Amino acid sequence: MTNERERRQSNDIILAVEDVTLSFGGVRAITGVSFDIRKGEIRAIIGPNGAGKTSMLNVINGFYFPEEGRITFRGQTRQRMRPHVAASQGIARTFQNVALFKGMTTLDNIMVGRTLKMHKGLFWQIWRHGPALAEEVEHRKVAEEIIDFLEIQHIRKTPVGRLPYGLQKRVELGRALAMEPDLLLLDEPMAGMNLEEKEDMSRFIVDVNNQYGTTIALIEHDIGVVMDLSDRIVVLEYGRKIADGKPEVVKSDQRVIDAYLGVAH
Amino acid sequence: MLYREAGQYKTGYTADMAVFPIAQDRAGIAIILAAVVLLPIVANDFMLQAVMIPFLVFALAAIGLNLLTGYTGLLSLGTGGFMGVGAYACYKLTTFFPEVNIVIWILVSGLFAAGVGVIFGLPSLRIKGFYLMVATLASQFFLQWCFNRVQWLYNYNASGAIEVPERYLFGWALTGARATPTVRYYVVLTIVVALTWIASNLVHGRIGRSWMAVRDMDIAAELMGIRLLPTKLLAFAVSSFYCGVAGALMVFLWYATGAEYNVFDINQSFYILSMIIIGGLGSVLGAFFGAALIYILPIALGFAVPALLAPFGLHIGADTLEHVRLIIIGALIIFFLIVEPHGLARLWQIGKHKLRMWPFPY
Repeated sequence: MTNERERRQSNDIILAVEDVTLSFGGVRAITGVSFDIRKGEIRAIIGPNGAGKTSMLNVINGFYFPEEGRITFRGQTRQRMRPHVAASQGIARTFQNVALFKGMTTLDNIMVGRTLKMHKGLFWQIWRHGPALAEEVEHRKVAEEIIDFLEIQHIRKTPVGRLPYGLQKRVELGRALAMEPDLLLLDEPMAGMNLEEKEDMSRFIVDVNNQYGTTIALIEHDIGVVMDLSDRIVVLEYGRKIADGKPEVVKSDQRVIDAYLGVAH
Repeated sequence: MLYREAGQYKTGYTADMAVFPIAQDRAGIAIILAAVVLLPIVANDFMLQAVMIPFLVFALAAIGLNLLTGYTGLLSLGTGGFMGVGAYACYKLTTFFPEVNIVIWILVSGLFAAGVGVIFGLPSLRIKGFYLMVATLASQFFLQWCFNRVQWLYNYNASGAIEVPERYLFGWALTGARATPTVRYYVVLTIVVALTWIASNLVHGRIGRSWMAVRDMDIAAELMGIRLLPTKLLAFAVSSFYCGVAGALMVFLWYATGAEYNVFDINQSFYILSMIIIGGLGSVLGAFFGAALIYILPIALGFAVPALLAPFGLHIGADTLEHVRLIIIGALIIFFLIVEPHGLARLWQIGKHKLRMWPFPY
């Protein structure tokens, strides 16, 4: 499988982060971090709690504005993103604490992910029958493909607030996939899951990467999963990058072992 | 047994996405529509003038507020003010251009309310929840002050009130003292049914989903590419449009002779808000349930309580009846909110779900 993925991967850089510095008042969250993500790869960001991993994702999709540094996404360089601009350019994301639309059904949540691709305005929406409904059906087909892919057909019409946590995480992935992103940011997709759920989620992540060719940036604390899934890993500690490279290199890096991995006793 | 969807196969997504996917529901809606259309044959003027017309007007205002508060999650206490904008806009328009049909002006006045709603909706980008409610409260008081003090709005009448002029629709008197309740009822019914249909279309499509996304998790909504300010302002605009039309209907087709500025006071806002809380936030149907419970039930009790006591030879005075009415309504509101905090619409949904499974529990 690794070979297959390597073949698909190119050396095109889809996202480059250069010298990004972010602080909240006197607290430095990220200090001069640079790394890049290649098209088609699974890139992991790991590090101890408070290392600035989530802040990094927030900078990438525009929730936080870095004081210094530049972000280049698909050849366009800017210092700050706006969330809806990031979305329209093809960056999707899931959250560490599930951020679904609780009062809506699984299907509606996924359909919200299609919002940017739907263009019929207020005038057509008022009548619904006709072009707006045709558009709705067209996007429903895409949503159903995603529902099929993630094996959540049985909860299609269930309000997500009533779903168990593992399924909520899956629906959130589905909602992000509905945007057909070029770059998918996953913030701890497996936090709080049992082994079986983790295996399912890992399978989905690999499948998304293989089938849709989506580039994935992933934050995860389960080192086994990270080492298995990712092509390259960035390690952050106290807002600084301490290592960057292939899993086997990072695994044996002394600074990473000291800061995060530790040694088996 | 009758309420089953067994055997009703959906063959396309269009059928699955219908507002009433079950045939029995469609039949029910058809029966209700037929009943309200045929109602004037059996109902007397009191029934139309004092029960049905106000009920429809309040339901329309409640739908409007529900689009804003229930669907988009923006609390508003400006309903009364926005209704007033509709009423006063309609009055100004019809006195400036008397030759244009009043029904057109009633609908156009909703656009004026929408404009005012957008202006007062601007703070919603920065503030949420109770703080936004306080901001809309300011709009309520400011607008009410305008209705009272800006004499231009009521054409410098000595009475300081809107005096509804006589207007006709296809030769029938529609407003003013000579208009019959039947004609007014049919016009109100048509407008309310049409706008209900539109509201239902909106909330079932992309726009409705964007509103609910903003309500449930605005950060994630932004990330899906939903821009918060335009979405919230659209909710304010559509909501105020509905409230404005309801306000114009209220003065021109319910009161039919005139109204003073204090009709659109803060109590009106609370009244509508209580309807959507009881009826069900985030439900078009809930607006009708809420309006029925808050408006029609007290009237029904006014007849039912004396009628129930009469066989026992008990007579109930008018003021005692009023108190009894308040007690019963209050108790019912508390009862329903304890049984189902999400309102009557949710209760209705649960009931339907149970019926589908009956006699099995699940």
